[in-house]
Amino acid sequence: MHIPDGFIPLWQCGIYYIILFIALYFSLNWARKNLDEKMVPLMAVLAAGIFAIMSLNIPIPWGTSGHMVGGALVAIIFCAPEAAVIIFTLVLLVQGLFFGDGGLTTLGANIINMGIIGGVVGLYSFKALRRPIGKVPAIFIASWLSIFLAAEMVAVELWLAGTFPLGAGLLLMGLYHAIIGIIEGILTVVVILALEKTRPDLLAWNRIKKMDNQKPSEESN
Amino acid sequence: MISKDKYLIIGAVIICLAIAVMAPFIASNNPDGLEKSAQQISNTHESGIYEAPFANYTIQIFGNGPFAGIAAMAVGILIVLGLGYLLAIILRKRKPPETSK
Repeated sequence: MHIPDGFIPLWQCGIYYIILFIALYFSLNWARKNLDEKMVPLMAVLAAGIFAIMSLNIPIPWGTSGHMVGGALVAIIFCAPEAAVIIFTLVLLVQGLFFGDGGLTTLGANIINMGIIGGVVGLYSFKALRRPIGKVPAIFIASWLSIFLAAEMVAVELWLAGTFPLGAGLLLMGLYHAIIGIIEGILTVVVILALEKTRPDLLAWNRIKKMDNQKPSEESN
Repeated sequence: MISKDKYLIIGAVIICLAIAVMAPFIASNNPDGLEKSAQQISNTHESGIYEAPFANYTIQIFGNGPFAGIAAMAVGILIVLGLGYLLAIILRKRKPPETSK
């Protein structure tokens, strides 16, 4: 899903960079207010994990391949899409600079697609679905949707760039990434359940619940 | 750093390095979803304005065998882990200075 250099005109790349800088401004503010000492190792290992899964292209049907993204995973763990923006900025910068995976001119667009759209769609669809359908199906559908809509956003950006026709772009990108999304959904569920079993203190929803439980007792004291 | 965090980092590094070791053997050489779509519906090609040192996740000095790919992935994982830790330390919430009573 990494858009290479040359697929988007430079002036449009500039617009995506401006959007990225605005998102980064809010994300860095979020980190200064919410990222405590305990979350530092988690952020580092998630960045390394996201790098590993994004660098590995697994075979899917129709002679193509795909990699998982993890935008929903990060946003759900931190209960904040801002965490996904920070982690994806780092990972995509390293991938572009050292490994030529994704362009440098298109870095802004790539972070918007995988970090911002992946994180926002993943977290808010998880929040909307958690009560009606339960935690595990909600994580699966949210992460599937996050990669599917990110891929469709790529098709729209490449249509705006004059690189792809809109209909065929939406169809093909949607089709390939709908398959990859199934693997993404399974992986996201597995990682979150594993984290909940081994380190429940690191999941933001448990921390928020703990703080909510502490408040009434503090008030009564 | 508490021991639980050390185990978290060690466990994650082991899993990531296991992915790196498996990558050359299980990774597909087929184009990814975007490249495949571009082949089918577009004439646009990558501009190649920048040559990355470890392009295609390969460190050339190790030749073309699987070790070149494993080494590239391992280097990438350790770079991202280190930079991620450093970035999180820099960005983290600061404790307010204690006021003297």
